[in-house]
Amino acid sequence: MEFPSLMLEIRNLHARLGDGREILKGIDLAVTAGEVHAIMGPNGSGKSTLAAVLAGREGYEVTAGEVTYLGRDLLALAADERAREGLFLDFQYPVEIPGVNNMYFLRAALNAQRRHRGEPELDAGQFLRAVRAKLKELEIGEDLLQRAVNVGFSGGEKKRNEIFQMAMLEPRLAILDETDSGLDIDALRVVATGVNRQRRSDRAIILITHYQRLLNYVEPDRVHVLLAGRIVESGDKSLALELERGGYAAFGSVG
Amino acid sequence: MSAVVDFPVKPETRPYLEAVAGSPGEPEWLMQHRRRALARFAELGFPSRHGEAWRYLDLRPLEQAPLRPLAATEVEAARAGGDPASAWPAAGLRLTLLDGRFAPELSRLGEMPATVWFGSMRDAIVRRPDLVGEALEALAADRDQPFAALNAGVFGDGFTLAVPEGVVVEPPIEILHLASGRSTASFHTRSLVTLGAASRVRLVEIYTGEGRYWRNDVVAVRLARGAAIDRVALVEEADAALHLAVFDATLGPDARLSSTALLLAGGTLRHDAVVRCQGEGARCGLYGAYLAAGRQQANFVTTLDHCAPRGETREVFKGVAADRAHGAFQGRITVRPNAQKVDAHMLSRNLLLGAHAAVDTKPELEIFADDVKCSHGATVGDLDATALFYLLSRGIRRADARRMLIDAFLREPVDRVEPASLRDHLLARLSARLAVLEET
Repeated sequence: MEFPSLMLEIRNLHARLGDGREILKGIDLAVTAGEVHAIMGPNGSGKSTLAAVLAGREGYEVTAGEVTYLGRDLLALAADERAREGLFLDFQYPVEIPGVNNMYFLRAALNAQRRHRGEPELDAGQFLRAVRAKLKELEIGEDLLQRAVNVGFSGGEKKRNEIFQMAMLEPRLAILDETDSGLDIDALRVVATGVNRQRRSDRAIILITHYQRLLNYVEPDRVHVLLAGRIVESGDKSLALELERGGYAAFGSVG
Repeated sequence: MSAVVDFPVKPETRPYLEAVAGSPGEPEWLMQHRRRALARFAELGFPSRHGEAWRYLDLRPLEQAPLRPLAATEVEAARAGGDPASAWPAAGLRLTLLDGRFAPELSRLGEMPATVWFGSMRDAIVRRPDLVGEALEALAADRDQPFAALNAGVFGDGFTLAVPEGVVVEPPIEILHLASGRSTASFHTRSLVTLGAASRVRLVEIYTGEGRYWRNDVVAVRLARGAAIDRVALVEEADAALHLAVFDATLGPDARLSSTALLLAGGTLRHDAVVRCQGEGARCGLYGAYLAAGRQQANFVTTLDHCAPRGETREVFKGVAADRAHGAFQGRITVRPNAQKVDAHMLSRNLLLGAHAAVDTKPELEIFADDVKCSHGATVGDLDATALFYLLSRGIRRADARRMLIDAFLREPVDRVEPASLRDHLLARLSARLAVLEET
């Protein structure tokens, strides 16, 4: 294989917010290509901060530790460089951007990534064909195409749009930040099906979630419990069921 | 008419009073208008930045290096060559004013209903003084605004459009203002649009050019009962140009005005809209966007006067100031005591990009009637960091992501422009301008 099988390695990662509050207090995690990892934890445990730090969002300061992604120092890359290197963040709250057409946006993103990889850009026709094929595969309607990015989308539509973007951009590492929050059962099924279709031997997926529900549809290879900024337990999928029964309290102090 | 004057004169006005205004053989009534207007200009002088009306524009370069009006004899024949990028490619009817004078060889006046008068101002003065005589004198701006007064005194040409009752002119009419770059001078154009009851036109004004010049443009629009005008102004002047424009409109009962102005390029730009809703039920939409970078100054000024009941006003102005640019919006809506049931809203939203840029916004309401719905709002901020991160997180480069957000912010006022081909042209010019700024 041309890619290293170890995709992401996080060692002793500490990070704090701009106001000085330390949120991540020593995260260790290794993700191998082809795997799906679930990171579970209660509100305030640092789940979304971990996703934000990995994606390169501003407003967080890494105070210790390192993150290696495909053999490179991930933290040295800007957010857009990380994305062009194949990292994708599925937002818990997808952002509405009035005035920017959804397709224009996605084509700009896809072509930025293709340029980076030395591949030819897609023209409007090629892009539209690729879009149609992908929408059909994901059972997503074409009405998302003509609107501004996420503007006026229902919660479910926004999450579908995230999954659709992920399918179009074909990342090496996808981080899904509470993609299941606020979804009804139908939307959850569409999103989960989309995620399952994305599973590939050269791709890793990290599911960040509060609840076990999504894991009924997307079966993880590994499950980690995040509490107060540390991973306190790791195991196979049975760990999620254990959590569902006993709650987070069994793993230590939640606060 | 020059040299000898017997009224009070502010020193900075002197270079303009000595210039040759008009052309030989002009009718006496016009000469009288010109003399009166110049006297007014000499008395007013250049506006002070201490007064409210001109607070946000630095005109010292003009005071230090006057740009004299170009005399008719100095305008050279137009050179051959393609249309400038600012011109609307789909324009059917076009009247071109080159260095402030009608250029027939660059114009396509086309097929008009026989009852419509459309041509140069100079032509109308000779052939249709009945259309233009009174209106050339009657602008309120000429009394209050020094450069409008100067314009009335020395204007060289302009256009005249008169549409009689009930006539609808479907294809948009383009007025293309060009500056050849051959003369370091000022171009004073004065134009008049009179719309009879229930008539309708679409007007597209494009301002572009090369070199160092001062364009001083006044357009007066008179709408009779139920008349409608959709007007677009695209300003892409040369980097060293000064552009001052007054759009003065009077609306009769149930008349409708929609004006969309884009200030994209040019050293110092000021766009004044002066609107009187004189008839009951008149409706007015004023929209605009400026994009100022480098050391550009861009200034929107709107003065709206509701003199009659049941009028309606919508104003949406957006601005972006980057680098060391200065952008400003000054809007005033006055509702007179008898103008009940007026519904007027004014919004100014601005992006301030960079520590050395400046934005001023000053919306004002003066309400003397008690049964009205009026509001105003103003914001100044930076690009939305969350939206920026979302674009970055998809791999879009920072510079491209910022450009997409600025473009999206500024396009709102343009989004309502019809027809679609004109809207697309404006949006393409906006994007092109953003791309140029990004490279510098």
